[in-house]
Amino acid sequence: MTVTDPGLTPEEAEHQRQSLGTAAARNLASTTKSTPQMQGISPRWLLRKLPWVTTQAGTYRVNRRLTYAVGDGRVTFISTGADIRVIPQELRELPVLRDLPDDEVLVALAERFEQREYQPGDLLVESGGRADEVFLVAHGKVQKIGRGEYGDQTVLDTMADGEHFGSEALTGVEASWQHTFKAVTPVIALVLRWEVVQRLNGRADALRAHVDSLIRADGKPQNKHGEADIEIASGHDGEPDLPATFVDYELSPREYELEVAQTVLRVHTRVADLYNHPMNQTEQQLRLTIEALRERQEYEMINNRRIGLLHNADLKQRIHTRTGPPTPDDLDELLSRRRKTGFVLAHPRAIAAFGREVSKRGLYPGTTNVEGTQVLTWRGVPLFPSNKIPITDRGATSMIAMRVGEQDNGVVGLHQPGIPDEVQPGINARFMGVNEKAIVSYLVSAYYSVAVLVPDALGVLENVEIGRA
Amino acid sequence: MNQIRLAVSRVSVTDSDVEVERPQLSLSRAAARNLATTTKSVPQMQNITSRWLLKVLPWVEAKGGAFRVNRRLSYAIGDGRLTFTNIGANVSVVPQELTELPLLRDYDDVEALAALSTRFEQREYQPGDVIVERGRPQDAVHLIAHGRVDKIGQGEYGSETVLGVLADGDYFGDQVLAGPRGEWDFTIKAVTPVILLVLPWEVFERLNGEAGGLRAHIQRAFAGSAGRANQHGEAEIEIASGHDGEPDLPGTYVDYELAPRELELSVAQTVLRVHSRVADLYNHPMDQVEQQLRLTIEALRERQEYEMVNNRDFGLLHSADLKQRIHTRSGPPTPDDLDELLSTVWKEPTAFLAHPRVIAAFGRECNKRGIYPDTIDFNGHHVPAWRGVPVLPCNKIAVSETRTSSILLLRAGEQNQGVIGLHQTGLPDEYQPGLNVRFMGISEKAIISYLVSAYYSTAILVPDAVGVLEHVQIGRED
Repeated sequence: MTVTDPGLTPEEAEHQRQSLGTAAARNLASTTKSTPQMQGISPRWLLRKLPWVTTQAGTYRVNRRLTYAVGDGRVTFISTGADIRVIPQELRELPVLRDLPDDEVLVALAERFEQREYQPGDLLVESGGRADEVFLVAHGKVQKIGRGEYGDQTVLDTMADGEHFGSEALTGVEASWQHTFKAVTPVIALVLRWEVVQRLNGRADALRAHVDSLIRADGKPQNKHGEADIEIASGHDGEPDLPATFVDYELSPREYELEVAQTVLRVHTRVADLYNHPMNQTEQQLRLTIEALRERQEYEMINNRRIGLLHNADLKQRIHTRTGPPTPDDLDELLSRRRKTGFVLAHPRAIAAFGREVSKRGLYPGTTNVEGTQVLTWRGVPLFPSNKIPITDRGATSMIAMRVGEQDNGVVGLHQPGIPDEVQPGINARFMGVNEKAIVSYLVSAYYSVAVLVPDALGVLENVEIGRA
Repeated sequence: MNQIRLAVSRVSVTDSDVEVERPQLSLSRAAARNLATTTKSVPQMQNITSRWLLKVLPWVEAKGGAFRVNRRLSYAIGDGRLTFTNIGANVSVVPQELTELPLLRDYDDVEALAALSTRFEQREYQPGDVIVERGRPQDAVHLIAHGRVDKIGQGEYGSETVLGVLADGDYFGDQVLAGPRGEWDFTIKAVTPVILLVLPWEVFERLNGEAGGLRAHIQRAFAGSAGRANQHGEAEIEIASGHDGEPDLPGTYVDYELAPRELELSVAQTVLRVHSRVADLYNHPMDQVEQQLRLTIEALRERQEYEMVNNRDFGLLHSADLKQRIHTRSGPPTPDDLDELLSTVWKEPTAFLAHPRVIAAFGRECNKRGIYPDTIDFNGHHVPAWRGVPVLPCNKIAVSETRTSSILLLRAGEQNQGVIGLHQTGLPDEYQPGLNVRFMGISEKAIISYLVSAYYSTAILVPDAVGVLEHVQIGRED
C-alpha cells in the first residue's frame, strides 16, 4: 500500500518550512503506546460458557449406572490407491464379533470382503430381500429408508464413513431386510456374503463357537440406553409378587485426570529490571503467554484424543447432515437428541453456511445478547463461533451441541483452583530460577479437563460442508 | 390617514380573493408583522449526517500526538494486490507491483521485473469459461487484471463447492515461478468477463537465462521459509500440552514487532473569518460568531469522518488487511455475502457501515428471498440489523461511477483489540474534545480570524478487527 503525501515534494517542504516539523517535535513528545496486541486471541466461548467444576486432587470420577455396552463403534479402513480394505481388528466393532479372541479369524474375514461402488440413487439393499450380507460403508452417505404407517417412505437415518449394517447375517439366522438402503452420494461399500462366511466357518470353528455362545447368552434386562434395568411393577391389580431391585453401578468408572499445557517463559533480567515504564515487561509477556495457553486449552478440549469433545461424543449421538451443508433440518435433528441443549459450537464459516441455508428458505433466525455480543440462535439455542473446530481440506467440519452443568448431567469443565503460585484459576506461573546468562525462567502451566457426565449430553453433527454448491 | 388608505389599497391589490371594494376593517397581517419579532431558526445545513462512525468508535487519548500499535512479531506473508495499467485494450502489470507476489518480495532489480512484466500474455474469457481445470498440470502464473472468478474445489463426497471468489488484482499459481508444481487442485471459472495476464513456465524459463539474479532470488524465497508461525503469521509461542511423563518443555518468549506502526494525529483545519462589525452588533438573539463556528465545526466533523474512512494512510477502507477483504458472490449485497463478511470479523463484531443506497440494495435482496431482518435499538435509535449486528448508514463510503461501493464491518474497542479512534484532549483553547478554536488576530480590514482545527486518527489494533465487502453493486438490473 502506498502512502501519499498530497501537495509538496520533500524538497519543497524543506524549502518552505518556517517552523518545527511534527517529525522533529515527536522526538520530544512521548508516544502513547498500546499494549502488545495478539491476533490469536478469540472469544473462547467454550471456556466462558462451560460450568467449571473444582477437582480436589487432579482427578474426577464419573460414576454411571452399569451398562451392558453395545459394541457399536465405527470401522476404520486403509486404502491403497482405489483399493480399500478394512483393518481386521476393527471388525470387533460389529456387535457379533465383539470380544472374539482369535485374530486369525478376523484377518480371514477381512480378506473376504468385496468392494462395491454405487452412484447416487442406487439401492444397496432393498427391503424384503434376503438378509445375507454384511455392509461396511467405507466412503459416502447412505440413507436408511423404512416404510411409513401408510406405505410412504420415511428416512430413518443417514449413515456415512465407517458405519455398518446387516452384521446379524453373521449369526446365520434366516432373515429378510427390514429397510431399504439407498446411496445419497457416490458410495464405496465393503460387502461380506454369508456363503463366503459359511465356507470359512468350516475352517474356523472359533467364530462359530463365539456366535453360538452369543446367541445363547442373549441379553440381561436393560433399558434402551443399555443400562441395567431397574425393575418396577406398575399397573397391576391384586397381589402379585413385586420385583426386588437395586441400581447397579459400573465397576470401573471412567476417571478424568487434569490435562496440562505447559511452557517455560524466559525473560532476560535486564529487560525485566529496566524497561518497565509504563508497562511491566514481565507482566505483558506473561499475559500473552497465558492467552496462548488458554487458546491451546480450548483447542485441546475440543480436539484432544483422550478428553476432546469431538472424540468423546457417543457414537449414537453423532449424526450426519442429510445433504451436505448445515440445514435447519439438520440442526433440528441435532437438537432433538437431548434435552436442554445449552449451546451449539461451530466454526464461524459453518455458521455463515448455516446462514446461507436459512436465507435460502426465507427464514430469519433470532439473535440473542450474550455478555454484550449478539449471537445467532436456532430454536432459542445460541450458536457460538469457535475457530478451534477443524475444517478438512475438502471443506467439511462439525458442529457440537451440548447440555452443560453438573445438575443437568451435562458437560462440565474441570479445573483445580488454589494451586501454588496461581495467576488465574487453574493456571500458575512458578519461578524456576535465573541461569548463568541472566535469563529468568517461569514455568507456566494450565490444568484442565472436560467430562461428559451422561453420553446424551454431547452430540456432534458431522460432515458439515461449508462450501457453496 | 393618507398612509392608512394606502395600506388598504395595497392589501386589496395583493389579496385577490377579497373584492376590491370591501375596505379592510382591522389591522392587516403584513402591517402587524412590522411590530412583531419574527422567530428565527438557527442557520440550517444540509450535509450534516448522523456520523455513526464517530459515535461507534471509542476515543483513546493520544498524548504526545502519536500512538504506537505494538503487535506480536509476525512473519509477513506478502500477499498484496497487483496494479495494472492499460493503453487502450492492452493491459500490462506495473513492474514494481510484481513484488507483491510472495516469491518476488523484496526483489529490487527493476529492469528484470520490467522484462518479466512484458512476458505476460493477455487472455480474455467470457462468463462460464473454465480458465484452469483441476487435475491439469499447473504450469503458469495467472494475474487477474479485471473481472471476477470463482475458485471451485471438490467437496467431501465429490460435489463441487465454491471455495472463494477472486477479483481484480488477485493472482493464482504464483508458486509456478519456482518450477512447475504438479497439478491444480482447484478449478477456476469466470463469473464475469475476465481479462487475465498469464505467464507460462516455458516463457519464464527462457527469460531466466537473461536475468540470473531473479532465479536465485526466487529459489531463496521458495526454500527459506521464515520462523515458526501460527495461522495468523505471528511468531509461535511454543507450548507443550497433553503430555504424560517428563518430556523436555519448550522454552519460549513472546516476540514483538521491532518497528511497530506509529500513527500521528491527522488534522483538519480551516480559518474562520468574521467581520468585527458583524461580530459586535448583530448578536441578538443569536451570537453570530457562535453560529459561524457551529456550522464550521459541523463541516469539520463531516470531513473528519470522511478522512477516517477514506484517508490513504489511516482510513479504514485502505488499511483493512487484504485477507479481510472479500468480494460479493454475484454483485448485489446478498444476505449470503453479509454472512460471509460476518465470518471474517467473527470475534464480537460491533457494526456494519454502508452507504444508504447499499442498505437499500441489501433490503431489496432480503425482500427477494422473503426475509425480514430485525431492527435493534442502538444508542436509542432504531436501526436495521443483520444477525443482530446493526447496519449503520454512512455516506462517506464512496459509490463509484460504475455504481459499486463497499460495506465495512468493524469491531470497536481497545479491550477487545478492535478499532479505536485517536484524539487528544486538553488542547489549548479547546472547544470540543480534540477540537480547538484559536484567535488569530484582526486584520486591517477589521476582519477577525479564528483557526479551527480538529485532530484525529484511527488505529486498527489487530487486522481481523475490520472486514470489507468489496465490489458491491447497487441498482443492478435483475
